[in-house]
Amino acid sequence: MGIFSKVVLKVWKFFTLLRVTIVLLISLALVSVLGTVVEQGKSAQEYISVYGEKVYYWLTVIGITDMYHTWWFTTLLSLLALNIIICTIDRFPSKWRSVSHQKTDVSLRFIDNLSNHGAIEGVKARPAEVKEKVINILKKNRYKYEVSDRGEEITVMAYKGKWARFGSDVAHVSLIIILLGSIFGGIWGFKDFQPIYVGETRAIPNTDFKIKVNKFWIDYYDSGQIKQFNSDLSVIENGKEMLRKTIYVNEPLYYKGVRFYQSSYGLAWGKVKKAQFVLVDKETKKQIGAPIFINWNEKIKVAGADDYEVKLVGFVSDFAFDEKNKVVYTNSSEHDNPAVRIELYKNGKLISKPWLFLNFPGLFPVMDDASKSDLILTNYQPIQYTGLQIGKDPGVNVVWFGSIFLGIGFILAFFMFYKRLWINIKSCSDTVDIHIGGMINKNRIIFEREFNALVDKFRDGLIE
Amino acid sequence: MIFSLMFFDITYWMYLIVAVLYLGFWLSRNKWLGQAATVFTFIALFANFMFLVSRTVESGHAPFSNLYESMVFFTFALVAGYLFMEFKYKMKVVGAFVMPLAFLALVVTSLLPFRYQSVEPLNPALQSIWLEIHVFSTFLGYAGFALSFGLSIMYLLKSRKGASESGGGPIGIFPKSSVLDELAYKTIAWGFPFLTVGIITGGVWANYAWGTYWSWDPKETWSLITWFIYAAYLHARVTRGWRGKKAAYLSISGFIAMAFLYWGVAFVLPGLHAYA
Ligand code: HEM
Repeated sequence: MGIFSKVVLKVWKFFTLLRVTIVLLISLALVSVLGTVVEQGKSAQEYISVYGEKVYYWLTVIGITDMYHTWWFTTLLSLLALNIIICTIDRFPSKWRSVSHQKTDVSLRFIDNLSNHGAIEGVKARPAEVKEKVINILKKNRYKYEVSDRGEEITVMAYKGKWARFGSDVAHVSLIIILLGSIFGGIWGFKDFQPIYVGETRAIPNTDFKIKVNKFWIDYYDSGQIKQFNSDLSVIENGKEMLRKTIYVNEPLYYKGVRFYQSSYGLAWGKVKKAQFVLVDKETKKQIGAPIFINWNEKIKVAGADDYEVKLVGFVSDFAFDEKNKVVYTNSSEHDNPAVRIELYKNGKLISKPWLFLNFPGLFPVMDDASKSDLILTNYQPIQYTGLQIGKDPGVNVVWFGSIFLGIGFILAFFMFYKRLWINIKSCSDTVDIHIGGMINKNRIIFEREFNALVDKFRDGLIE
Repeated sequence: MIFSLMFFDITYWMYLIVAVLYLGFWLSRNKWLGQAATVFTFIALFANFMFLVSRTVESGHAPFSNLYESMVFFTFALVAGYLFMEFKYKMKVVGAFVMPLAFLALVVTSLLPFRYQSVEPLNPALQSIWLEIHVFSTFLGYAGFALSFGLSIMYLLKSRKGASESGGGPIGIFPKSSVLDELAYKTIAWGFPFLTVGIITGGVWANYAWGTYWSWDPKETWSLITWFIYAAYLHARVTRGWRGKKAAYLSISGFIAMAFLYWGVAFVLPGLHAYA
């Protein structure tokens, strides 16, 4: 034998050991604990604020911040999978053989040595008659049987629940199917999150269609608690509406293998529907005229300061300024420090693009010095968005299939039992002795009682 | 008047009485104590059942929506399972190791912050038939594991060196160690498939609610840890050198993991399941 096949054989032998399974399962259990103690997939800042930089460095080296995707965790899982596959393949043929070629013709000694055995002696009948009666009782108790008849000595082998022997194999194959399903999903699926404004139509990455959000609303219980979040969605493909559905939590929209889930909602942080301004006198701070409403991206004349026009071009819900890059951004999705940006035109010419703060009216003058009045932001109408979790997972049905199969395996393994009886019928001058032995693959305690009850049935049936 | 709270109190005190009766029976071997224990267990179980019914009527949904409700469902499954076992195998001492567990479960439940006790409508994520199947199945699993825990402790006591297989002393009245071992297996053989169905239906539910059936959040991970330990137990029982005591220790570890899965994750670790 070559050195290579020797090594393969060694590895194979190693992975057939149930001891390896136990060690792997316990190791996986212990290691998994780590990933629940350290929160997974947070930002670097969050880890550093909890653990400090040094510890964080080591956490990332070992990979604990995203533990379940590290090479070593995946390796452990793969070893378990290999263990399951090899173990099942290795044991299957001999198990199959032992079930398909059941020992029928056993000796009397074999029967009497079984842990469940009994005897009925001195029955006044011929062996063939006894055999018929025995078989009738077996049938009534839903046993299948085989007979080996040698005239003076007859052995009946009865059994049921043969398939229970394969429960563990079905369970093991199912686990591999489930694992494969999750791998398919990882390779050919994708996940995405899109906050889409109400009224907006958004092209969905990785697909060739768009989603339009017609409406978003919240249902409440009478007590005021939230009952449900709903989004009325349309699927738009090639400019046509293909499907329209109202989704809510636990009820996604499904189109071409992609699912859309109601995941969150809120007020847009980068856009508003319209904003409200008032013109005030710079000296007296008194309001001049009626409030001015401007829609997003709309340019209108400022009533009361006719040389000027204003266009609404920007919004941040929580104003922040990056000194280094000189850019404005929003600190969060909360509306804590809302600010709008306008373009200011004088006699048709753009003269400035100032920010106006809702919480700090008049912080910076907007109009130029030539103007006696100034603009102040007094209100705005936010846009609602609905947060859609988007996912495609071609492996998920494989996972469900494996799960159902696993259920079948469990039913076979845990709730069905392989029971065997051997009944030796032997004539002894003009009477017949009957010896009964029984065996079960597990669940011995229950079987003991069942077996004794069965022996009593034989006794009642034979000695009438 | 909120009937469910009243039935909670009745169940609570009944389980205390029952636990004391079974312990008394175990230590005194007085037949009448044993009979009384069984009769009172039926009454306690009925009160427990009435809690579940009244809670369902009051809230309009199955009584699984938070830790408080699910704990009472757990004790119901545990005690019903125990009674079934007592009748099937005619052994009362096991009650001395199970009923205190049921009482203890209600003690910690009663210590929960008050907001858990109030009847709440379901939040959007919980409105799913899968939630009901998920919790129902998981808790049947938990009940099986809790029974097995009691049996494994008895097994370890019984199989200590010097402990007699039968006869005198408080250990002597225990069933044979092989019987305890077999029953510990039998209860896990019930618990394990139910936990598995619980994990899978949890995945189905998460897939409807969040678009992913598995996200390694602490609750999910701990359910897997528990599942791994009981899988190890099942294989230990058919492996030479791992049978008996080692398997019993695995069963006990599994129960501890389960208790953490149930309580620790809700109060110690952060995650999606923070409400249940
Ligand atoms: C998470 C992983 C695994 C799970 C959930 C699992 C599940 C099961 C179940 C449910 C049974 C039936 C137990 C019973 O009837 O009491 C079983 C039995 C068995 N498993 Fe596994 N198994 C796993 C991994 C493995 C591995 C890696 C091996 C390979 C060494 C293995 C080998 C066996 C054997 C030999 C039996 C007994 C078969 C019999 O007596 O019919 N299992 N397993």
